[in-house]
Amino acid sequence: MNQVTNLVSRFDTYTRAHKPEQLVIPPLVALAIALVILGGMFVGTGAPMRLGFEFEGGTIVTLATSDSHDLLKDAFSDYPVIDVRDSGSRRMIRFGPMNDAEKRSLVEKVNSDYEYATPEIKQMDPVYGKSLQKQALKAILISFCLMAVIVFLIFRTFVPSVAVVLSAFSDIVIASAFIAITGIELSLGTVAALLMLIGYSVDSDILLTTRLLKRRGSLDDKVTKAMATGLTMTGTTLAAITAMYLVATYSYLVIPSLPQISIISDISIVLIFGLVADLMNTWLMNLGILKWYMQKSRRRRA
Amino acid sequence: MVHAEVKEAKSMKLYKDFRIIIFVIAMLIALISIHPTYSNGLSSRLQYGLDLEGGTWLQLKLEGVITEIDADPSQIIKKEFSDAFGDIEITDRSDTEITFKTPEPLEKETIEAIGYGSVYVRDNEVTLTINKEYVIQKYLSKHLNCEVVYLGNGAYEIRSAINESELSEMLSEVGGSIGTDMQGRPVWREGVTKETQEMTKEILSEKLNIWGLKEIPITPVGNNILLIDLAGIDLNTAQKIVATPGKFEIRIQETNNTTAHVVWGEHIIAVDIPKQQNGGAWGIGFTVDGTGANAIRDAAVEYGAVDDPADHELIMLLDEKEVYSAPIAPDLAEKLRELYDRKENVPSYGLVATTGTGDEGKTKAEQLQVHLRAGALPVKVSVIGSGQVPAALGAQFKEQTLIAGIFALLTVALVIFLRYRKKKILIPMVATSLSEVFMILGFAALIGWQLDLPGIAGIIAVIGTGIDHLVIITDEVLYEGRMPSTKVYLARIGKAFGIIFAAAATTIVAMSPLLAMGFGALKGFAITTIVGVLIGVLIARPAYGRVIKDLLE
Repeated sequence: MNQVTNLVSRFDTYTRAHKPEQLVIPPLVALAIALVILGGMFVGTGAPMRLGFEFEGGTIVTLATSDSHDLLKDAFSDYPVIDVRDSGSRRMIRFGPMNDAEKRSLVEKVNSDYEYATPEIKQMDPVYGKSLQKQALKAILISFCLMAVIVFLIFRTFVPSVAVVLSAFSDIVIASAFIAITGIELSLGTVAALLMLIGYSVDSDILLTTRLLKRRGSLDDKVTKAMATGLTMTGTTLAAITAMYLVATYSYLVIPSLPQISIISDISIVLIFGLVADLMNTWLMNLGILKWYMQKSRRRRA
Repeated sequence: MVHAEVKEAKSMKLYKDFRIIIFVIAMLIALISIHPTYSNGLSSRLQYGLDLEGGTWLQLKLEGVITEIDADPSQIIKKEFSDAFGDIEITDRSDTEITFKTPEPLEKETIEAIGYGSVYVRDNEVTLTINKEYVIQKYLSKHLNCEVVYLGNGAYEIRSAINESELSEMLSEVGGSIGTDMQGRPVWREGVTKETQEMTKEILSEKLNIWGLKEIPITPVGNNILLIDLAGIDLNTAQKIVATPGKFEIRIQETNNTTAHVVWGEHIIAVDIPKQQNGGAWGIGFTVDGTGANAIRDAAVEYGAVDDPADHELIMLLDEKEVYSAPIAPDLAEKLRELYDRKENVPSYGLVATTGTGDEGKTKAEQLQVHLRAGALPVKVSVIGSGQVPAALGAQFKEQTLIAGIFALLTVALVIFLRYRKKKILIPMVATSLSEVFMILGFAALIGWQLDLPGIAGIIAVIGTGIDHLVIITDEVLYEGRMPSTKVYLARIGKAFGIIFAAAATTIVAMSPLLAMGFGALKGFAITTIVGVLIGVLIARPAYGRVIKDLLE
């Protein structure tokens, strides 16, 4: 508890001790780095993140088997195996594009030879995957625009609204950059998480902006109180999501038979990255812009 | 004045407050819809998705295009008949008739076999009665080897995968082109009509029925996708069912308990939609080719069905199961006998199978339509995504998500306790959060919606974000560190809900694209998040705001 309070008050002291312009610098640097990472990935690979099987197309088979990677590669040598990996205590085999007949014979082989290994199979058509990519991008853009419209409707003032939208934008970009550098593949789950992040990451910004603009009292005092509430909020959400991530990803370390749940693991890791980015963006960037805006308008009034 | 107000508000009992009443009613509805019972383990009315129950999912794309087409019927006729009989010369044309000369005199049947309609022949001069739309439809259907349907207003549905340039090229050979809209862009939409999508869905579910799989959910998405969830079946079986057409056979009753083969389904060349016949009974018209017509004619006469229809019914089987049987109608018997006596060969023959009157007759007619098509789908279908989850793996996922949920709630409770250090805040907060989860589950059970893995991830995420809003309420109310007077409390609660509603609105709009778009797997996540947020802000959190007032005073 003391450590938590300490952390909050240190954070608080930091924001009091620095000028708004200084507060904004670290998050802007982080945003710039994130954009460079995504841009670099885009130039290098044609996509800002590594695309998972749902967007690339292909086949994934996971098996609860103790067969070695090489043994599995041999067993499936008639098919275009890309690689064999461990997914928790299960083996995950990825296949490249195949025609319908090959796909069918693969499915038959898996279900007869590996019936004991509770085989999970996923197949996606590359052409459809391409159209999913477009849809996913569209979903993210629409979602972001709708969020921005709502934010403008709520505050009806330019600078505070821009501050909120910019901070949400930075959350998404930094979370995406994290996805890109940690090598997590973009899946439907990660897209869902990014959308959730768009909606959720503005919660603490809305709290901060409302408290600062619509309440009387000293600015620093309002900031301290908003921070206590906001950090608790992000803390509880991080706690829930981290618990979800750990159970979905690492259960097998405790009970070896438990599988990894990749879709939940994907959703939660992206939310964790996003929430951590949101801590910085809300309490440095958004706060910095708001402080600057309030001091400026006070000076103008005076 | 202020004093009086406070007193009045204080005397208001908790159980009389409308927020509490709504909350209690919602919880009761949730309890009734979930309907937990205990016999050999806990069971409830909650339904689970494939990834938790085990089974196979298929994503099918219906290949098709809707486009506007204009072409010159006389050029089509010239090309088609010249290809068949050598260069023909068109001598006269109007909107309804085309007259042309063939190099050699030909039989009426030979000309009609090309399939563009009925003709009138004098030596080598042929007059063909035409209908522009039919000619275009026939031409496309023949050369693209698929069904083409005229939709009206110059629009056609081509039920196969084809690209724009291929079709343009085909049309330019007969002086035709793809129509353009007001901005000059070609009218070209990949997909099929709602009716075609619906019909494909019906045929698939009828097929699955024949395999003994009842009530399989098939969900149409967008204008050309069908999602099928097959519980308890592995991927090979599922692909076999969907991809293989059935074997259709017509047999005739020989004696009381023996039947004889008449003709296979491949000789059925067209199947009409259910229509009411003259007598009011529902029926399906279908056409058999020459071989089929001869087989039916010979069987009907040789087995005595034309003399004694009642004892020699025609029987239709799909995959060796009887799907229809009825005696031959008297007028049909007459015609068949005439054909038999004259030993006349017909190029094709139209028959009607009646199924009775009323709604029952109509339903039977619809089923028979599917059977006559031998489960063949009206459009070309490709599997664009598929997968299987074994039941044992699904059971593990279920167990694990339950652990994740409990674990998430406990860690959230720990964070709340570290922050507030008060049981009076901790318990109502955790209870509210639990109640929100319970109400989301109740809602899922109520609308019969299946919980899947992304959906459960959504619920856990709602635990995390829901607590946030309770934190906002608590901190707003206790801004000075203690419970304020009722008047201030009311103002504060108002402010807290201002923030909460704003936050909820952004979450809902941000998730909404997922509801509208065709990602099957993510709909669950979007629905739980949106429903969870709504239940939270409208039911659970107002009740919490009211309860902490009494508890902290």
